[in-house]
Amino acid sequence: MDGAATILDVEDLVVDYVGERSNVRAVDRVSLQLAAGGFLGIVGESGCGKSTLCFAIARLLTPPAQIVSGKVHFAGKDLVQLHEGRLRHLRWREYSVVMQSAMNALNPVMTVGAQLADAMQAHERISKQRARDRAAQVMRLVNIDPLHLKSYPHQLSGGMRQRAMIAMALVFTPNLIIMDEPTSALDVVGQRSLMKQIRELQKQLGFAVIFVTHDMSLVSNFADRVAIMYAGQVVELGATRVLFTDPKHPYSAGLLQAFPSIHGPKQRLTGIPGNPPDLRYPPKGCRFNPRCPQVHERCLVEEPWPHVLPDRDIVRCHLYARQEAMAG
Amino acid sequence: MIDRTEPILEAKGLTKHFPVGGLRMPFSPQRLLHAVDEVDLAIFPREIVAVVGESGSGKSTVARLLAMLYRPTRGEIRYRGRLLGSLRTRRALLAYRRHVQMVLQDPYSSINPVYPASHGIFRALQLHAPHRSAREQRATVERSLEIVGLTPAAEFIDKYPYELSGGQRQRIGFATALACGPELILADEPVSMLDVSIRIGLLNLMAGLRDEQGVSFLYITHDIASARYVADRMFVMYGGHVVERGPVEDVLAHAKHPYTQLLLSAVPDPRAEVTVGPSSETGEPPRVVNPREGCRFRERCPLAIDECSRVTPRLRELRYQHFAACHVATRDGDAGSTGAWPATRTGDVGMSANGQHEGAHDARGPGVVYEGVWSQGR
Repeated sequence: MDGAATILDVEDLVVDYVGERSNVRAVDRVSLQLAAGGFLGIVGESGCGKSTLCFAIARLLTPPAQIVSGKVHFAGKDLVQLHEGRLRHLRWREYSVVMQSAMNALNPVMTVGAQLADAMQAHERISKQRARDRAAQVMRLVNIDPLHLKSYPHQLSGGMRQRAMIAMALVFTPNLIIMDEPTSALDVVGQRSLMKQIRELQKQLGFAVIFVTHDMSLVSNFADRVAIMYAGQVVELGATRVLFTDPKHPYSAGLLQAFPSIHGPKQRLTGIPGNPPDLRYPPKGCRFNPRCPQVHERCLVEEPWPHVLPDRDIVRCHLYARQEAMAG
Repeated sequence: MIDRTEPILEAKGLTKHFPVGGLRMPFSPQRLLHAVDEVDLAIFPREIVAVVGESGSGKSTVARLLAMLYRPTRGEIRYRGRLLGSLRTRRALLAYRRHVQMVLQDPYSSINPVYPASHGIFRALQLHAPHRSAREQRATVERSLEIVGLTPAAEFIDKYPYELSGGQRQRIGFATALACGPELILADEPVSMLDVSIRIGLLNLMAGLRDEQGVSFLYITHDIASARYVADRMFVMYGGHVVERGPVEDVLAHAKHPYTQLLLSAVPDPRAEVTVGPSSETGEPPRVVNPREGCRFRERCPLAIDECSRVTPRLRELRYQHFAACHVATRDGDAGSTGAWPATRTGDVGMSANGQHEGAHDARGPGVVYEGVWSQGR
C-alpha cells in the first residue's frame, strides 16, 4: 500500500439477492483498498460471493442482486451512488471488466475487429480509421497478429480468445481492470503464459488489477495482495508473501493445505472437511465454525470482527482478538 | 505394492482417428483427426495410473476407448488376456462393464435429477446382479455409500441430487462405480469440476479404495500435482502420443521429455517466489489432422533438431521402467545435456535461476530438484 495512491476504496459493501421469502446476503461488509498499479487477488470457492463482489464494484449487478449498503470510491466518486449515464463515462475508459468465459462473452457472429470498434464507438467519438489503428495496436500488445481482427471468435484458440478479451479491456488504457476468472478455461501452460502477459502489460501500462479466481496457487506468484473470501466475507487480507508463508485464518491455512505440491516429500493432505455453507442459512457465529479445526465456544455464538494485525489488514477470526489488542 | 503378475487391462497400439470436416470435394482426401496414436498401456491390480496432458492431448479418448464407448481404429485391448473385440455376447460385455467402471467428469450433469441420487446405484445392481433380493441390494448400496464417506448411508440413500453438494455428488459417482465390485475404475477428470477444498478428499478416497479394496484406477487429469499425489505410475500425453511414462516420482524428478518439463514448469507453487520475465511459451497443443511423420511437439520444442521433423520418436527406456519418446533426451542426463541447449540446469521449477531458490528449497526439506530446459525467470 505504501507509496502509491489508493485508486479504489471499497467500504463495507453489502450485496443481497432478493428472494420472495428472504434475502440471501452474497457479499457481507467487504472492505478493501487497491493502490494504483496494484494487483489484488480475490480467492474463494464457488458460491463465496467473489464474482458478485466484482460485479458490484463494477456496478454490473442485475436483479435480483442489489447493493444494499456500502461505498465504492473510485476516480473521486462513489460508484454506488452514480446513475447509469454517469457510469457510462467511466466504464471502459476508467475501468473495464474481463469476463470469465471468452466464448460466451464474445459475439460469435461478429469479427473480433468489429467488436472492438463497437466498444470504442460506444464510449468515444472516434473515426473508423482511428478505431482500426487502435484495435491493431491493442492486439499487438497482447501478442496477437492484427490479421485476426478479421477473424471470428471460433477461429481463434482458447488462449487467443482470452487474450482478445484482454485486448478489448485495454482499448482506452483504463486505470483499473477487473478480471473474473479469465484463465479458468485454459490449460496449465496457457494459464501461466496468460498470467505473465497480464503482469507484463501491467508493468508497461500501469493499470491496477482485481483478479478473481478459485485457484489460490495461480495468484500466488502474481498478486501483490490477496483477499480470501468465505461465505460472502473477506476472512483474510494481506500481502501475498506474508499470507502464503504464514496464513492466520484457519480457512486460508486449510486452503493452502489442500494443494498437493510437486515439490518436496509427499505428504498426506486432508483438505477441509465439510462443505461451504448454504448462504440462505449461514451458521450462527463464525461462518466457518462447522468446518474449523480450531473452533471454540465463542465461535459458535459470536461473529468475529475483522481484526487488524501488524503484518496484515484483515483476519476475521476470534483467535486473533487478543493479539490485536496487544499490538494496538 | 504393485502386483506385476497379470495386467487387468492391456492395450497395444491403441489408435483412434476421427473424420473431420463436412462434405468432401471429389478426390480430396479424408481429413482425419488423430486423437490417439499407437498407445501401449497396461494397468495392473491395485495401482493408480495417471494420464496427464492438456486438453486435446487424447487422454479422455483413451479412457473412452477402454470403456468401449468408442471402437478403436487400430490396436487391441485385452481384459485379463481376452481380446475385447471377442466379447460378443451380452453376458460377456456385461461382465466386462461390471469389472471396468467409469466415473465421469461432471457430477452436476451425470446424475439424473428426477430420481434420488442412489437410483443410479440401484440400476447398476439390477443390471449386474439381478439375482440379489431387494434387501441385499439395499445393503450393498448402503455399504458402497459408506465406503465413499456418505454417512449415515440410510439418510443419503433417499436424497435427491439437488440436496447434495458437488463433492457429495462425485462421491455418488464413485459409489455407483464401486457397487458392482469393479477391478478397475476409469476416472475421467473426476475432481476438476470441484472446489479446491473438496478435491483432496476425493483423491484420498481413490487412494483408500486402492489400498483397502484393491481397486485400480486410470486417473485422467491435467493436474500433474494431483497425479503425483495419488498415482503410482504416470503417462504424459501430447497430441495423441504418449511422450513419457514411468513411476510417478521418477518422471517428476527426472523428466526426460521437454514437454513434461514444460508442464512441470507451469505448475504454480504457492510457496515459491517468481520473477516475471517475458512469457517464454505461448504455444498451444496441436489439433493433429492428417499429421506428417515427426515429433508432434517439435514446433514448441526448444531442443528440436532436424531428425524431429523426419522421424517420429519412439518410447525408449532411459531409466529403470521410465520411457520417453524424444530424440534428444539421453539415458544419463536429461533432455538438453547433449549440448543442443545452453544452461541445462535452471534449478528448481517455479523459481528464478538467480540462486535465491536454494534456501527456499532447503526449507522444504529434502525434496526433488527438477532439471530441465524451461526456466520461468527469464
